[in-house]
Amino acid sequence: MEEESMITVENLSFSYTKTPFISGMSFSVSKGEIFGFLGPSGAGKSTLQKILMGMLRTYQGSCLVNGTECKNRTKHFYEEIGVDFEFSTMYEKLTAKENLRFFSSLYEKKPHSADELLKMVGLERDADKRVADYSKGMKSRLNFIKALLHDPLLLCLDEPTSGLDPTNSRVMKNVILEEKARGKTILLTTHNMQDAAELCDREAFIVNGKICALDSPHHLIMSKGAAAVTYTWLENGEQSASCPLGQVSSDERLKSLIAENRLRSIHSSEPTLNDIFMDITGRTLL
Amino acid sequence: MRLKRLFLLDMRFQAKYGFYFLYAILTAIYTIVLFALPEHWRGKAAAILIFSDPASMGLFFMGAIVLLEKSQHTPCVLAVSPVRAAEYVIAKVGSLSVVSLAVAAALALAAGVDDLPMVLSGTLLSSVIFTLFGIMIAAQIGSLNQFILWTVPVEAACFVPAVLHLFKVTPAWCGYYPVNVCMDMVSGHYPSAAGFFLAAAMTALLFVRSRFCVLQMWERMGGVKL
Repeated sequence: MEEESMITVENLSFSYTKTPFISGMSFSVSKGEIFGFLGPSGAGKSTLQKILMGMLRTYQGSCLVNGTECKNRTKHFYEEIGVDFEFSTMYEKLTAKENLRFFSSLYEKKPHSADELLKMVGLERDADKRVADYSKGMKSRLNFIKALLHDPLLLCLDEPTSGLDPTNSRVMKNVILEEKARGKTILLTTHNMQDAAELCDREAFIVNGKICALDSPHHLIMSKGAAAVTYTWLENGEQSASCPLGQVSSDERLKSLIAENRLRSIHSSEPTLNDIFMDITGRTLL
Repeated sequence: MRLKRLFLLDMRFQAKYGFYFLYAILTAIYTIVLFALPEHWRGKAAAILIFSDPASMGLFFMGAIVLLEKSQHTPCVLAVSPVRAAEYVIAKVGSLSVVSLAVAAALALAAGVDDLPMVLSGTLLSSVIFTLFGIMIAAQIGSLNQFILWTVPVEAACFVPAVLHLFKVTPAWCGYYPVNVCMDMVSGHYPSAAGFFLAAAMTALLFVRSRFCVLQMWERMGGVKL
């Protein structure tokens, strides 16, 4: 049975001028899926996101989000959407709790407890501190839980781990995975390839207003077929050699080094998503 | 309910940034000035003071308020929330009108005006008009310099005719000009029905336009940068 879609985009085209900016784009995102967008600046990601959020409504084609055609959305549409911006979007002179209380009051749905959310990301002791006195990482975490306040079905996360230390980054990633486990659909953008590979079920590479590739990070990486094994051994100094992962069993030298326990190091090296992106599009992500 | 939340937030925002403190001091200074003037001057002086400050504060303060909000990126959140542009505009107009009315009432009482309700009605109408002008301009600009530049034509088109009208140096037909209607009311005179209708129609048009400007601002600012 086909999975139920949260987002269905069919033959989407949009232009700011006479030249098409997004053309013929089609994809769907299932409910409960973490879907990533990757692409260089000016590729059309922001425009696509604005269309998905119902902010640009002069597009051609179809763009259904949570069963609503985006160009026909009403303000009620936003009851089920939570957006985490890369930058702080809080009233700086209000405390964290005051901000959360205000933003949750804009929605009809019963909000999550602000105290519980603050505790979840380790900000419970700073709940009554003005946001202006928060560090960048604290603002990032606060921004993130603001998106969760009204328990939306669709989350848009923009660089959610940016500016965070490894511990807090882990906490955020765990929360994202918990939200996914609760059936939430998540649109994620990040330039952190490790996060993308770890979190996303599927990634779309967007260049020049078109999707160049769309698959799971694992399949994208494996599709290049360039995973290699590099090994070193001592023989008149340190020597090294590589062979494709799929041909390890036919590398006689490697087999003999293993048999003689002479290997000094051995590791596999898969291409990164950035390598794949450059390979497919000929461009870098930044 | 959401409108009430926005209204209360705006009032809190203005209080946190010291708007009320500033106006408490200004009101005290204006009151001292009024008491220092000869009694027969106080009526016109109060009308000019009320029209040029509390009634028109929305034109100037809206720039500061919206630019502060833009610097904190809060319009981005409102753009992707259930908040309607009309609610945003009404909350801004309402919250600034409260300050306008409080200051105008203090000045009118200090000047000993005869018809306080008419003065306050004129202040309210002026405050709504100027705040809507302020929103329209602030929603389109990105810096305080730009805001100051854009408010100059509005000031010229609103303050000069109104002050001239107060001193009756304008032709009779100028009494229908909406800001002159406001000045009539602020100085305690009943406006003509046609003049009031024109002022109300202008307010409605400004409301529609400012709502549109807010929607444009949200469209430019809203959404995440993927």
